[in-house]
Amino acid sequence: MEGLYLFLEKNSIYIVMIIVLIVWAGVFLYNLKLDKRLKFIEKEMKEGKK
Amino acid sequence: MKAYHLFRKDLFSEIRNRYAINSLAMFIIVTISVILFSVGEETISDYLSGGLYWVVVFFTGMSGLARVFVSEEERGTTLTLQLIARPETVLSGKLIFNLVLTLAMNIVITFLYSALFPAFVIKSLMLFFITFILGTLGIAISSTIIAAIISKAGSKGTLYPVLSFPILLPLILILINLTKISMDGTSFGEAIMDVLFLASYDVVMLSVSYLLFDFIWKD
Amino acid sequence: MIWKIILFLLMSYVIIAGISFPIVEKPEAWYHFPLIPGLGENAKIIFFHVPTAWITVLAFLMSTIFSIKYLRKKDLDDDGKSQTALELGMVFCILATVTGAVWAKFTWGEYWSWDPRQTSIFALLLIYGALFALRSAVENEEKRATLSAVYSIIAFVTVPFFVFIMPRIMKGLHPGSADDTNVGPVVNFKMNSNMYLVFVLSVVAFTILYFWMWRVGSRSLNIKEKLLKNYR
Repeated sequence: MEGLYLFLEKNSIYIVMIIVLIVWAGVFLYNLKLDKRLKFIEKEMKEGKK
Repeated sequence: MKAYHLFRKDLFSEIRNRYAINSLAMFIIVTISVILFSVGEETISDYLSGGLYWVVVFFTGMSGLARVFVSEEERGTTLTLQLIARPETVLSGKLIFNLVLTLAMNIVITFLYSALFPAFVIKSLMLFFITFILGTLGIAISSTIIAAIISKAGSKGTLYPVLSFPILLPLILILINLTKISMDGTSFGEAIMDVLFLASYDVVMLSVSYLLFDFIWKD
Repeated sequence: MIWKIILFLLMSYVIIAGISFPIVEKPEAWYHFPLIPGLGENAKIIFFHVPTAWITVLAFLMSTIFSIKYLRKKDLDDDGKSQTALELGMVFCILATVTGAVWAKFTWGEYWSWDPRQTSIFALLLIYGALFALRSAVENEEKRATLSAVYSIIAFVTVPFFVFIMPRIMKGLHPGSADDTNVGPVVNFKMNSNMYLVFVLSVVAFTILYFWMWRVGSRSLNIKEKLLKNYR
């Protein structure tokens, strides 16, 4: 682990990359959650109409 | 020529109560005075005075050109107008009125401006004259269609400049550039690209206005 | 479902490649990017800043298309789709402006220098901000949809001029303006083939992301309208 931290301190660009990847994963999962919620509501509305 | 008669109705009602003419004249005087006072002892360079000229023109237009449609809504005469004329005729009538109003306003502004701002000296008059005419046309056309849109909305007073400025922005940029080079004394041939662009803006806006007015006008 | 996974992988690769691959004078390995004269290290922004600007234009175009559809058929669903595209376009416009301003600070020294391309993105912000103001000023749904449709058609007529023509013919600092010796790294093929690949993948990834967010947004807007109608 120590070697990894030393390496990351020297080439900090990889820290930026990891942070952006985490942000992207968060945005993506949130969108996925919204999509599932909407699908559920749409299914309920369809069954309500019938 | 129903459009001409619509224009005459607006013209006569305007002459009768002189509301727009008075407010426009006062606005021109106030704006130029504010600029002169805030500049104070400093000298205004020639390019700066050219830019400020179009500032005055733009804001004066914003204060007075929405009246053609807003006054109809306020007096409740929109329905009558919808019944007696086709939409294209209504647009033509209102457009002619705004054209005449903008032309008068711009002429007054030009005279006052060249008298009060010593740096505002135009070397190629022909180029400036063409710029003036095409610019007046462009401002009148865009302002009329936007006035039609906001007359059906709420909060008309603040909404009008907010909607008009982005649509007028390409026009204003070209006009400022043309005024700048006409102060330099450029010949008409050198500036032909910008003039052509100005003319094409006018044509595009005019056709878009006629195409879209139908949708706004009918309820 | 599968395109969502593809989107996730694509965007992750773009992020990894765009940020960490080094820029060297003579690219040799597959993960080297060439040095473009005049841009240097901050050339990497091209993977993130250009796609946001592209998505802005795409979103506004879709907003106008669905406005025209609404004028034809008077289906309020089309107005909801147009409104979602408008909101997304505004978000990406702000993102493009801010990323551009931050890049400008480190390249030209100022956050904002009224370069023609900065002026035109600012004009886009104003035009579509005005559309938001118009939408909030009208209560009746059909009137609001009609008026904003008309305004968005008028507004979109000016967009190609602002985005494609004006910044290329006027003199300015932004890459690709009239006094830049190359036409800009996108139109001119100054990019290496693997750099180009990352760039194209980035545009594709952002486009898929936009379409996904647009579908989610427009579905939620239309459902909300339908539910409110049932409760009134």
